[in-house]
Amino acid sequence: MFTPRKPRRDKDQTPRKKRTCRFCDAKEVYIDYKDEKRLSRFVTEQGKIIPKRITGTCAKHQRQLVQAIKRARHLALLPFVSDTVR
Amino acid sequence: MDKSKRLYESTIIINASLDDTQVDAVVARVQEVITRNGGNITLVNKWGRKRLAYSINKKTNGYYVNLEMEAPGTLLAVLERAYQLYEMILRYLTIVLDRKAIAAHKAALEAAAAAAAAAAAAAQTDPVTLQPREADPVKVDGPTVV
Repeated sequence: MFTPRKPRRDKDQTPRKKRTCRFCDAKEVYIDYKDEKRLSRFVTEQGKIIPKRITGTCAKHQRQLVQAIKRARHLALLPFVSDTVR
Repeated sequence: MDKSKRLYESTIIINASLDDTQVDAVVARVQEVITRNGGNITLVNKWGRKRLAYSINKKTNGYYVNLEMEAPGTLLAVLERAYQLYEMILRYLTIVLDRKAIAAHKAALEAAAAAAAAAAAAAQTDPVTLQPREADPVKVDGPTVV
């Protein structure tokens, strides 16, 4: 018997069109760790990595993205924990 | 050469309180280590002073330098040891460029060259400017979205 998943957030209640991965749309094969402006869009204000169910990224690109974000964090291009939200 | 060479990319953060000549000296020393151990450097990008996202050794700014090189695998141990011993270098990251990264790099360089050519051509037709404005070769911001 199929029971639909209980919506955890308001935006899960309204059906929306299937979101495609923006990297797949742009046909990108490599996500560069040096591009912190781009990577910062996939990171919350606190500095945490946004899960792919929110951004719509596919699994393959999410793995590359996470690796790029972690490298950028090592090089202090992105923070590990951001102090802006207190 | 019998050793196969791979493309490596190394990004280092140098102490920002040094002035420009000292920074150049640091970069020259790093290049010397690379060439002495059988590598050849294909690209040097100096990003300049940037604010760090968190403090490293109680410093808030760093001078970023990005190097690309072709080198045998034996170079890496020597290079990273040199980075560790050199106290002016705060952080380093060396990665191997696989073919996807190489393809993306080539595309970015071509795009930058095309942009530079377009900017030079546009500036030359403009009577107001005396010199054509060169596109900044230092900043390479990764692959452009096609």
